[in-house]
Amino acid sequence: MRLLLIEDDESLAQGMLTALRRAGYAVDHAATGANALRFYEAGQLDLVILDLGLPDIDGLSLLQALRKIQAGIPVLILTARDSLSDKIAGLDAGADDYLTKPFAFEELLARIRVLSRRSGPLREAEIHIGNVSLNIASHEVQLNGEVQKVSRREFAILRALADRPGQVFSREQLEEKLYSWGDEVNSNTVDVHVHNLRKKLGHSVIKTIRGVGFILGDSE
Amino acid sequence: MTSLRRFLIISVLSALMLVNFIAALHGYRSSMLEAESLFDQKLSEMAAQFAAMPLPNEESPPSADDEQMVFQIFSGEGKLLWRSVHAPAQIISEVPGFGEHNFNDYRWRTLSYLNPNTGRRVVVAERVDQRYRLAESVILESIVPVVLVLPVAGILIWLIIGRGLSSLGVLAGILRRKPTDDFGAIRVDGAPVELLPVIQSVNSMLSRLSASFERERRFSADAAHELRTPISAIKMHLHNVRDELPNGSDSLRSLTKDVDRLAHLVEQMLLLHRTTPDHYPAKFEKISLPGLARDAIAERYADCAAKQQTIELAGDSVTVDGDRFALGILLQNLVNNASKYTQQGGRIELRTEVKSSEVWLTVADNGPGISAEAQSRVFERFYRLGGDRHSSGVIGCGLGLSIVEHIAELHGANIVMATGLEGRGLAVSIVFPAPLRSDKALPPSAKSKKALGLSGEGEQA
Repeated sequence: MRLLLIEDDESLAQGMLTALRRAGYAVDHAATGANALRFYEAGQLDLVILDLGLPDIDGLSLLQALRKIQAGIPVLILTARDSLSDKIAGLDAGADDYLTKPFAFEELLARIRVLSRRSGPLREAEIHIGNVSLNIASHEVQLNGEVQKVSRREFAILRALADRPGQVFSREQLEEKLYSWGDEVNSNTVDVHVHNLRKKLGHSVIKTIRGVGFILGDSE
Repeated sequence: MTSLRRFLIISVLSALMLVNFIAALHGYRSSMLEAESLFDQKLSEMAAQFAAMPLPNEESPPSADDEQMVFQIFSGEGKLLWRSVHAPAQIISEVPGFGEHNFNDYRWRTLSYLNPNTGRRVVVAERVDQRYRLAESVILESIVPVVLVLPVAGILIWLIIGRGLSSLGVLAGILRRKPTDDFGAIRVDGAPVELLPVIQSVNSMLSRLSASFERERRFSADAAHELRTPISAIKMHLHNVRDELPNGSDSLRSLTKDVDRLAHLVEQMLLLHRTTPDHYPAKFEKISLPGLARDAIAERYADCAAKQQTIELAGDSVTVDGDRFALGILLQNLVNNASKYTQQGGRIELRTEVKSSEVWLTVADNGPGISAEAQSRVFERFYRLGGDRHSSGVIGCGLGLSIVEHIAELHGANIVMATGLEGRGLAVSIVFPAPLRSDKALPPSAKSKKALGLSGEGEQA
């Protein structure tokens, strides 16, 4: 898994390079937009981490330039700009995710994992949540190594939650995930599926936050 | 407070009166001079008549009843030949020509005339008060119209000045109605040249103000960038050092905590600066409070989960006119506070409800709560409960509620504090004004009152 880190702050870049390499990623570093384009054109990248405040080119313009060269590589914007309009502009310009500084490195790793799973080459086809594991390619769910039968919708919900451990999903957000799979959704569909998942995988696999939504549980 | 209109009217009327009186005085003086020469001419004619007329032999007055006018006729030798009955026996004036003399209790205008042919001397005299009576009527005639015309002049001047000052009123109206965040140049149609420098100055001030506001706004963005990047770098390196020292060290743990505190302080200060109602570029829109509360809980859930606290949302689906970003920050701050100060395994509840047409957004907990006298101080910047002895382990800088207060003020909302859940803890409510009224422009300067739910607003702290 090869990352390109585009960050002009030397110290931050060095720290991130060290940490990302220790986490098992191969990382190239570009401190300018021009350098970044050279790395990008050389190819073989799986993910780009982009700082918006670059010395030679505006980050969003660079993002558009990168998208023109090759559209498929996920881009995570890592920036100090945290206003809503900046986020929207970043995502509109084609970024896949947006993380604001200062960040927890674990959060960055989690987002990188999600993006790399989403983008295809299935190098991380398995997600582990305690004693539960999801195989993204085969849609197979195992509890303590035993395959459990889950429906397509249940799998969609579990995967959405597992993609973002620590994130709370509202009922509406989970319904949207099902819609995007082309399914019809009733008002209590999500609750029914969550109930079934708990029955199959243990109660603590999904936690309910009353009035808010669901979050992946810390199941052992 | 001085009134330009009153000053103008009083001074213009005074000037008008002064000028009029000077004119009247001048008229009086010239009329008097003219009258005097007429009277004197009459005296001369009389004297000439007396000098030429044949004289009766014995001393007898020709007309006894004329007290206003007397005469004496003397011979060339100075013997009194004839006199009117009221004339004195001695010669009134020996000096030829006009003069003034006192006799018979009056002042008289006299003419002494020597006929060169006959050597006869004639003195005629006329009472001066006669002339004053005339002068009085002259004065009255010239002053009465001035006095009578004064109220009319006053009304006219009032109207004229009012009209002249009307563009000032228009300008004042434009400035009054101008929204506080509108720095566009003002235009007054048909403004007089005297007002143009004022309008130009106001416009140039507005543009300078706008530039400085823009700098203020940019400051927080720039400062955010300049501070967040090095903090990120420090955190990154700390993370790496922790990896390199698997057993850690006390200094490293302290350092981690201090960096977290620094990062928190920087974020809160930026927010405090950014949400200052005077330069917060609020974009008001209809916002669903439960939706926003859900987001805030989702954002802060990790903190609650770390302390095994339950957090839940209850209440009605209500919308308010608000700024999404600012209200999100407000909610996160309240949830963050509740989670921070509530014990392990505690309970936090968010409620949205409509009470007597006001929208209440409440964050309640079953934590330790705060005392009534502390409630009035918690909004002070950098104030922390217990001061320096603040319970260790809780990262904070005492800015959270100041930010909450800023944002409440931005929305014209009040903050109410009360007892939290299960008869203990703290409940902080943001009370939005009735949502249905369409007074869309909430005055950003409207100071939100801290209506304290509990009694005792005392500042004996």
